[in-house]
Amino acid sequence: MVPWIVARDGPTLSEVCRRFEVSESELMADLNLLFMCGVYPYTPDALIDVDVDGGRVWVRFADWFRRPLRLTAAEGLALVAAARASLAVPANGGEALARAASKLETALGGGGGEALDIELGEASQEVLRTLQTAVQRRRKVLVDYYSFGRDESGERALQPWRVFSSEGHWYVLAWCERVSGKRLFRVDRARSATALDEAFDPPPEAAGQGPVPTFESRPEDPLVVLDLSPAARWVAAQYPNEGTRDLPDGHLEVTLRVGSAGWLQRVLLIAGPDARVVAGAEGVLQEAARRVLAVYEAKDRAPAS
Amino acid sequence: MERLERLVNLVVALLDTRRPLTREELRERVGGYSSDDDNFRRNFERDKELLREIGIPVVTEPVDPRAPESTTGYRVPRDLYELPDPGLDEEELRALGAAASTVAVAGAGAGTATSALWKVAAASVGGDGPGLAPPGPAPGPGGAHPGPVVDVAAGPAAIALFSAVSERRVARFTYNGVARRVDPYRLSYRQGRWYLSGFDHGRGGERLFRVDRVTGPVEVEGPPGAFERPLGGLVGPPPPWRLGEDEEVVVDLRVDASQAEWVSSVLGEEAVAERAADGSVRLKLAVTNRAALRTFVLGLLDHAEVLGPPEVRDELVEWLGMLAGAPQ
Repeated sequence: MVPWIVARDGPTLSEVCRRFEVSESELMADLNLLFMCGVYPYTPDALIDVDVDGGRVWVRFADWFRRPLRLTAAEGLALVAAARASLAVPANGGEALARAASKLETALGGGGGEALDIELGEASQEVLRTLQTAVQRRRKVLVDYYSFGRDESGERALQPWRVFSSEGHWYVLAWCERVSGKRLFRVDRARSATALDEAFDPPPEAAGQGPVPTFESRPEDPLVVLDLSPAARWVAAQYPNEGTRDLPDGHLEVTLRVGSAGWLQRVLLIAGPDARVVAGAEGVLQEAARRVLAVYEAKDRAPAS
Repeated sequence: MERLERLVNLVVALLDTRRPLTREELRERVGGYSSDDDNFRRNFERDKELLREIGIPVVTEPVDPRAPESTTGYRVPRDLYELPDPGLDEEELRALGAAASTVAVAGAGAGTATSALWKVAAASVGGDGPGLAPPGPAPGPGGAHPGPVVDVAAGPAAIALFSAVSERRVARFTYNGVARRVDPYRLSYRQGRWYLSGFDHGRGGERLFRVDRVTGPVEVEGPPGAFERPLGGLVGPPPPWRLGEDEEVVVDLRVDASQAEWVSSVLGEEAVAERAADGSVRLKLAVTNRAALRTFVLGLLDHAEVLGPPEVRDELVEWLGMLAGAPQ
């Protein structure tokens, strides 16, 4: 605040209050304090001169505070990361921002090249833009989506609420008309998105902020119990679950709510002999293994050259 | 005298000197400290720590530069205290303001980007004289603030490493149980994680570190500008099937039309060997970790087939055969 006041010829108090979002009484208390400060031996010429007159304020001799303090490490990271991350958002790009980011990096230490390099996740720029525009205009979109969990593709009409990037992936939170429910979709799994000329009214929760859980089980999903050897403990660590129990042989028993068959098939195929189904999914592994094996046993395809 | 007043006086005294001042000199110049020696020392230490926390570079030097063993003195070098003018114009500042409102850097502290923006604005000598006004957040449709659309979380290690990277100073930290001395080149954010690339002095080569696996505090040492940051170099992690000691083989993988596009966008065009008329794609992957390759391929279920080399294909068929015949 001080550098800003020093640099101006008597800004009005209300101008300062508005600019720095302080009340007038807070401002006066701060100015009084500044007036008391100075350099030993506190002769008048070494004091900071604060002059409030007719609703305007002047600060003089505040040579020590004329320039703003350098950024803390956290401030530097927050601002440069904001700029670099924002440049990775298709709709945000812009030459001014790119210039600002590199000027900031230079002011913080220079050295050529980018100090930060941010990628927010795979996604078709075209699909991402279509979704972002649809959110802004409150228009429905038709997406051709591959559901990783169910291992099936299909078209869905969505009412897109919010597009965001979290933990390295782009998501769209939307009302899915096919299942009549709120769902989270990975943007990189949408092969195409077409804006429809149909408007919708987003509910209040659509504008919510903060992270949306990206892995959510539903109470109606069936329970599956697995016996994990130490080599397969990652299953319990990586996915939200309903509880674990240590078994005497060093194994871990985990109870999961499984909303999609494809997801469980992958976990079991990858863990192999280190995971065993105790209850809830008998035969799932064997069926999946036979299905994948069939690809290799197809006679009509020539083997590798 | 209130503490805030004492702190302001302390900053002024530390800035207003060319030579380091001893604790006793500061006690006299600043005023407001206890006449009890122990209390004074305790309060002085606390004040010093607080100033450092808010980013004021209080440096510690011997009072007599020719005698390193002489009494310790303190000062704040003006060039380290002041934010140099980044030379931003109003348009650039507005772009930064908009960026700060769309990106949340969790872990950096609430309001951190805003306070940074204010400082940067004040330091920028723009068209209307010194100190531009900090821009406000851009309103969204209907006047509502849209809120952040991107979150990039950064912990204490990432923050400390960022200042080492931007000032080009040597960083010390523990990684995989080994103490490292690193010229930190660049922080990169991939798949939701921060990675540090830099020259590892102990290993004598460029290395990539996962920042969330750095243990203990990050110490920054030596003068700024200690090395040149190379252009290019390591930025993100290699795919998991490159991280292993298995003998390198080039795997020929076929992915059907339903997954072809996604897989080639994740692996990059350079991995694509051939696109077939039916929409499927043939990929060539250099593999040094076969277990990780199996995980990737099985994640694609029956949409992918390893065509060769024969031993990798046979291993996978054997794995699947064992699971297909497993007791239920």
